[in-house]
Amino acid sequence: MGKSWLKRQSLLGYAFIGPNMLGVLVFFILPAIYSFYLMFTDYRFMNPELHFVGFDNIKRMLGDELFYVSLRNTVVFLLSVPVSILLAFLVAAALNKAVYWKKTLRALYFMPYITSGVAVAFVWMLLFQPSDGPINGLLRAIGVSHPPGWLSTTDTSMLAIDIIWVWFMLGYNMIIYLAALQEIPEELLEAAKIDGAKPWQIMGRIVWPLVSPTTFLLLVTGLIMSIKTFGIIQAITQGGPGNSTTVLSLFIYQNAFRYYEMGYASAISWSLFAIILIFTALQWIGQKRWVHY
Amino acid sequence: MENVKTERPEASRGASENAARRARFGEVLKPGKVLLTLIMSGFALLMIVPFVWMIGTSFKTPAEVFQYPVKWIPTTLHWEHHIRVWTGPDGFATYYLNSIKISLISTVGAVFLSSLAAYGFARIKFKGREPLFLLYLSMMMVPPQVLFVPKFIMFDAIGIYNTHWALILPGMFTIFGVFMMRQFFMSVPSEITEAAFIDGAGHFRIFFRLMLPLAKPAIATLAIIDFSWHWNDYENALVFLLDKNLFTVPLGLQNFIMENTVDYNGMMAAATAGIVPMLAVFLVGQRYIIQGVAGSAVKG
Repeated sequence: MGKSWLKRQSLLGYAFIGPNMLGVLVFFILPAIYSFYLMFTDYRFMNPELHFVGFDNIKRMLGDELFYVSLRNTVVFLLSVPVSILLAFLVAAALNKAVYWKKTLRALYFMPYITSGVAVAFVWMLLFQPSDGPINGLLRAIGVSHPPGWLSTTDTSMLAIDIIWVWFMLGYNMIIYLAALQEIPEELLEAAKIDGAKPWQIMGRIVWPLVSPTTFLLLVTGLIMSIKTFGIIQAITQGGPGNSTTVLSLFIYQNAFRYYEMGYASAISWSLFAIILIFTALQWIGQKRWVHY
Repeated sequence: MENVKTERPEASRGASENAARRARFGEVLKPGKVLLTLIMSGFALLMIVPFVWMIGTSFKTPAEVFQYPVKWIPTTLHWEHHIRVWTGPDGFATYYLNSIKISLISTVGAVFLSSLAAYGFARIKFKGREPLFLLYLSMMMVPPQVLFVPKFIMFDAIGIYNTHWALILPGMFTIFGVFMMRQFFMSVPSEITEAAFIDGAGHFRIFFRLMLPLAKPAIATLAIIDFSWHWNDYENALVFLLDKNLFTVPLGLQNFIMENTVDYNGMMAAATAGIVPMLAVFLVGQRYIIQGVAGSAVKG
């Protein structure tokens, strides 16, 4: 009976998981294997000839100046992640106890995260309009005679994208921090207060270290989430002006679907996977360290 | 479960009673708290300025768009931009119907299939469960950029490239959804299901009659988050759709902006059309979204 029961359990298990597993197999696992294979071919769309080229694509990537440009842009783009996290901590700390209308304010800060896709990117495009946009209008009004060109010049375009991204991510990070702040025992903060600690001392010396696992989690997941994104950048700058906003994920998209260099694009896409793998490994190591904490 | 059920309302009742008592005895507004509230409200307004400016601009005249100081509320409401966006040759009505169709079918499919799989992972012990779950875990690391090219080739081969199926079918499978629902099913105490088992119920009956009704809040959260992904999904639509009449709202928006580069009022009317449904979903489902987002990260 024991054996047949086990068998029945297994069948049941697979009956529940089966439909989902089929989709994961078809839309995730098989394409991933296929992509790994394409990495070693010279496949181009609409070109039926496909040759095995070994490591040529990887060699080409390592010699491609644009690949390094996209890496550098990616790093600049990812700087928005810690900035957004730090701001989110400050907002969460303020909203946690020390304000009225807590719920309304929380909702307002969180709104960009859930409502904005490409549509909001176009709004920002107009806000950043260099000659008459409202942002530069404000800057001129407060006495900046030559406000930045934002999305239209190569040295400020990534900064503009970073600002949009900080704005977008802030609400998400804040919500997670608010949840973490609620776990901190009240007595601890009371005790510090009785000992005469100033509010900013409590924040910096007690609260910030206590939420460090959350900070770390947000950092890693934020980096992974951001490095995969190219939608808003493709929508408003297409990587320009002059490749100044071509991040790695956009570089892959462009190689695959603008130049139809699909074998080459597959090779670069696995370098993106490698970076995500490193971030994930960091998370695992970090988590292990913090379990004892 | 029973403990949880009785404890929670009491705790919150206690808190609100305290608050009420404090209010009754006339708690004085603390100046520090008021100041901070004002500062934080200021920043909060800054967060929603893009939305306010967008809606305002969609009702302005072209001359008013870049007027400085900014006219937040236009003197007269100009509806013509909205009418133009919704009706013209590439009207948003088509994009809307496409987006609604794709988002709804994908979300319903994704919620059901992930709940089913999540129950299997959380509640049934079977051979190969752990390695299978690890495989799911590892697929979360594979970025969409790796999958675009092979999916493009596959979809082209089976004839669903440039159809809505290219978005709907993959959209019904979300690994995140399986994780989220698994988390929820694992938190349901086993006593609840044990009683049903003793009464002779099988897994399917327990899933449909007991677990799904219990999971309503989790399902609502997943449905809202998943719907917002599909509604805002620009990247997949960009890769897999070609014909204008198939475009979703984000693609239609981009198309509109490329064809009307200086029609700023029209652009903002189009952007408003794209955002308003998500604003509505957010205002209605705010509680679920915030709880779900907070819970999924802290516990996971």
